[in-house]
Amino acid sequence: MEVNNVNNEVYSFALKNTLNEIQNICPDIKNSFMFKDNGEIIAGDENTPEKVVVRVIDSFDGILEKADAIGGIEGITLEGNKGRVNISCMNDLYLVTVTSRKADMNYINTVTHVLIPTILKLLEKIHPAPLKSNQPQPEIETEIASDEELEEEEETPFKETLAEEPEEDPETKTLLPELPVNQLIIENLGGLLVPSDTVRIDSDLLSQWEELSGSMKIEEVEAETFDGKTLRCKVKPIKDSKYEGKGIIRMPEKIQLNLEIEKGELIRVKPVVD
Amino acid sequence: MGKKKKIVQEVTVMTEPLAVEESSVDDLRGCLLEIKEYDGVIGYILRNSTSAAIDLKDPTKVIDYAILSSSSLDASEVLSKDFNLGTVKSIIVDGKDVKMLSLTVSENRISVFMDKKASCEKILKKLHSL
Repeated sequence: MEVNNVNNEVYSFALKNTLNEIQNICPDIKNSFMFKDNGEIIAGDENTPEKVVVRVIDSFDGILEKADAIGGIEGITLEGNKGRVNISCMNDLYLVTVTSRKADMNYINTVTHVLIPTILKLLEKIHPAPLKSNQPQPEIETEIASDEELEEEEETPFKETLAEEPEEDPETKTLLPELPVNQLIIENLGGLLVPSDTVRIDSDLLSQWEELSGSMKIEEVEAETFDGKTLRCKVKPIKDSKYEGKGIIRMPEKIQLNLEIEKGELIRVKPVVD
Repeated sequence: MGKKKKIVQEVTVMTEPLAVEESSVDDLRGCLLEIKEYDGVIGYILRNSTSAAIDLKDPTKVIDYAILSSSSLDASEVLSKDFNLGTVKSIIVDGKDVKMLSLTVSENRISVFMDKKASCEKILKKLHSL
């Protein structure tokens, strides 16, 4: 588990540096970042704010969802009168490059299409398959009966803590440091019977966490914003299939307000185990 | 050929066509019918706020292609705004089997679907000349 985290960091670090180096040798590249088809950000250059990356990835949802209709995506090119965006599919990852209008695309494509796959291959040899660590596990039926949801209407108070106050009561639930931290995109969760203290995440991710924690049931997660605000809340699997497998966390408005975060933003989520 | 005409008619019935169609839309439709005869082109989708026309060789793909078309044009707006790309001239989605060229002409959102190896250049030139 810890090894996976380390490997992901290594991947991210190596790819981020590669993107920055590519920008150094191709100054016409204004922005570049990489993401997986489930929307997870793998690496981004220093110039591109994370919010922008999340918004852009979000905008590709519809295209990626229907990609099968055209045999899967090989690339996307957007031509504007001031610049150009290229999205290339490499080893199941998408590389996005934003270039000026005058950029020499042959040169840029040559550099990116040689360097990135080489780095990926190299990383694959050094640390095999960390990027697949979030791949779906065998399906486990996680649908919850509506009666159960009704019972949950009783809200429990939030246990909000600031990151600067990491001290925790040893008597209470403890975080297993070796459990993975996942970056997820926030999606609204609303409705009359929706408990305001519960977030919903992919059932596959929950199963994966449960497996990693030695088959312990994950009932709570700790969400941490990039500003360092943390909040522990209950967790249930996503029921709506259209949100599955996209790296999404569905979050009630109250939790979003507490964390001062909103739909489309990225948040770190880790499981809390007893 | 008979099949193609049927699809166009069905879609037109579902939407509410203008009583007097603008000549520019007629021009576009005429242009797209010509483009449809180009080598490798397998169909097109033309939409504006009041009407839509879909002409595809494979009618089973209509929904998927329509979603792809609107998603790509929506994505192009987001990208253009976030990265300050100015007016979007075109967005090309290269699939392993099929290629889609999308663009906006006036208020009309157009997507042309073609074989992977077909060229977009001639189509773009034709559409931008309107």
